[in-house]
Formats: sequence, structure tokens, C-alpha cells
Amino acid sequence: MDIEKIIKAYDNPDKLINLIKEITPTDRKIKIMNVCGSHEHTITFSGMRSILPDNIELIPGPGCPVCVCSESDIINAINLSKREDTILVTYGDMLRVPTGIGSIRTEGKNYKMVSAPHEITKIAQQNPDKNVVFFSIGFETTTAPTAAFLEIGVPKNVTVLTSQKLTPEIMDILVEDTEIGIDAFIAPGHVSAIVGANAWKKFPEKHKIPTVVAGFEPENLLLAIAVIILQLVNKKPSLENVYRGVVKNEGNRKALELIYKYFEKTDVNWRGIGYIPNSGLDFKEEFGILDARKRFELPQIEEKKIRDCICDKIILGKAYPSECKLFGKACTPGNPKGPCMVSGEGACNIWYRARKSQQGV
Amino acid sequence: MCVGVPMKITEINYPMAVAEAKGVKRNVNLMLIPEDEIKVGDFVMVHVGSAIEVISEKAADEIWEALDEVLALMDEREESGNA
Repeated sequence: MDIEKIIKAYDNPDKLINLIKEITPTDRKIKIMNVCGSHEHTITFSGMRSILPDNIELIPGPGCPVCVCSESDIINAINLSKREDTILVTYGDMLRVPTGIGSIRTEGKNYKMVSAPHEITKIAQQNPDKNVVFFSIGFETTTAPTAAFLEIGVPKNVTVLTSQKLTPEIMDILVEDTEIGIDAFIAPGHVSAIVGANAWKKFPEKHKIPTVVAGFEPENLLLAIAVIILQLVNKKPSLENVYRGVVKNEGNRKALELIYKYFEKTDVNWRGIGYIPNSGLDFKEEFGILDARKRFELPQIEEKKIRDCICDKIILGKAYPSECKLFGKACTPGNPKGPCMVSGEGACNIWYRARKSQQGV
Repeated sequence: MCVGVPMKITEINYPMAVAEAKGVKRNVNLMLIPEDEIKVGDFVMVHVGSAIEVISEKAADEIWEALDEVLALMDEREESGNA
């Protein structure tokens, strides 16, 4: 399939929408999952779902890093921040994620927000008598910057509490779950910049699922959807990359080298989903000195289900936010009950904001 | 957190740099890009303070156009919602 020809022939959103309408088979549902909060953001705010044929389901998957961060890690972070000798540092979204005992913001004591890991160096230098613990959460797009920060060299009073997850590994689980029944993936744009478009090859090759790497513009996502439908119609699943300005097939080799210099794959707990083998990263033995889990002998804490919250189903694409009885009532961005309502990348948060603006409330 | 922003490199003191976008300057970690593959004037995609990839000026413009478009969609919907 020649993407360049499609781009040339269908050079605006209206043409792409018409193409999708023309070629989409009407006899079945087509479930296309995205695994990136920014994709879900564009899809929802552009109103794409209401424009495309009804039988195309655009399903938000586990694309929100704070939504899948395990409760055990967050409670450990809260407890670290309560120590007089410690400052916990993390990204803003993490501060508000609820757990059975509250959030870092409501229950924590000594904590600071950063927007980039290198800001931690200054905090550590200004507080030489404190342990500064960086709560490093997220997918490959945040893990690579953590590795870059470590590579520069960090002050001795800095350790890292890792809660880092791998996207291709969770997609493996999703694809094998027949309850979801995914027909195609829109692969995440910036995770792909790190891991490379080729990281998704296994989905068309092994699972016969069309997979297209896309950027964040509505037109680019429509192009990805058109390519997916064409592949499904022609029964020729393949890997395509329509975000070539940023994503290389082989990814960012230096980023991958640095990630796997410091970290190795390990089984990690995805909130609401459970432990998935080799789906996360933890420090290699030789970098144990940087590992807050070791330094502070942090325990594993059992996860508690949030009453009536269906974030676990939403993260896996088994339910939409609107199916949750808490959605927009007991659970809002101002008062989130579940992790998917916290971050601007969480499906519930995105749906709530888009719906609120539509309703004129 | 996963939202990437294209920025233009204005100063390099490898592995750190200063990058600019829309008149805002930020310190950026270049450690994920080999030193001989980046120079002042280049455009990079920045995630949580690290440049994760060098991109062309054309790609940077297109991505900013897309970001502006998405932000405008949000404003439009939020304005109409608040009207």
C-alpha cells in the first residue's frame, strides 16, 4: 500500500472522512484501539467518533501513565514523603492520583513537583541533608528522560523509586484478550520515537492486526484510520508509520541503550490489571545504590479496589468512561475517585472535559 | 506528561542545552541524542525536559500546527460550553 499516494489523493480531513465512509464494511464492528492519552485527546475533542461510521469503535486503551501506576508504589511514595529526612519529587499528575489512603497531595508531607528530571539536581543540592527520592513513573517517553538524567550524574542524596512500564508488553496482553476483540492498533507516536516503529511489527505479523503509528493531528489520525480500514478490507494487515517526521523504524538507539544500561525488564503490577511478566523496568543489580526501593526497604502493599470504580475495565478497553456509575457524578477531575479521572491523559478526564464543554455546563 | 513539544535549540553546553518554543526558553537534556548529531538551530521533540529526537523544521512546524489545532478545538468547545 502506497501511503504517499493516499496522502496526496486525500489531502484534507473531509476527503479522508469520505474515503473512510466509502470503504468501511457495514456488516460488522471494527474496533480500533489507541494506546496513547494524546491520541484519545485528539479523537475526543475533535468529535471524530460522531463523524465516522457508527460501526467503527475508537477504543481508548492503557495510554495514560498515571492511570496504570500501581497503588503500592503510590502508597510507598506517600510514606516516603512523610519521613522527616526525605523529599519526594515527582511529576504534577502523580500528586493527585487517589489510593485507599488518599493521594500524595492529601496525605504526603515533604513533596515537590518537577516538570523535568534535571530539576531534581537543584533540589538535591539545596537540601544536602535530605534524601531526595524521584518517583519515576510512566512509559518509554518518561523512562528515557530518567535514564538521561542518571547518565548526567546525580547528587549522592538522590535515589529513584521506579514505576516504569513498557507499552509493547501491555499491547501483547490486550491483543490476546478475546473479550476486547481488537481489530487494529493506532500505535503511540512518541513511545514509537523511542522504541521504533518496528517494535509493533509482531502485531500484524503474528496476530494479523493492522498497526499504524500516528501523530496527534486529527488529519493524521484520520489517515491512520483510513489505512487501517484499507488493510482490513484487503485482508493485508501490515505495519505503517504515518508519523515519519518524528518516528524512525529503529527508534532512538541511544535512548534504548541508556534505558537498558540502568534498567532491566521485570514483572510489574499494572493498576487494576495485575502483574504482567516483564512489562516494566527496575534497576539492574549494579545500580542498586540508586534504587529507593532497596535503600528504604519498601514493602509491596496489597491493592484495594476503589468501590464502584471501573478504571480497570476502561484501561483495558472493556468499558467506556460513560459506563461507570461514578463518572461525572461522584468522580470528576476536581474530585477524582479513580486514576483515569486524574490526568489530562486519562480517558475519564478527557471524556468528562469534552462532555462538559459540549453540554454547555 | 507524554505530550511532546517541538523546540528549537538556541545554546548547547552538552549534554545540556537551552531550547525555545513560542518565545519560552527551557533547559533541555540532550543526553538521548549523540553529541555529533545535534547543533544550535536544530529542532527537537522534547518530553519531560529531554530531547527524544531531532526533527526537521518542517516537522516541527507541522506538529505545532497540530498542537495549535487541538488547543483551538479545546478552546472552541470549552468556550461554546461556557456560553
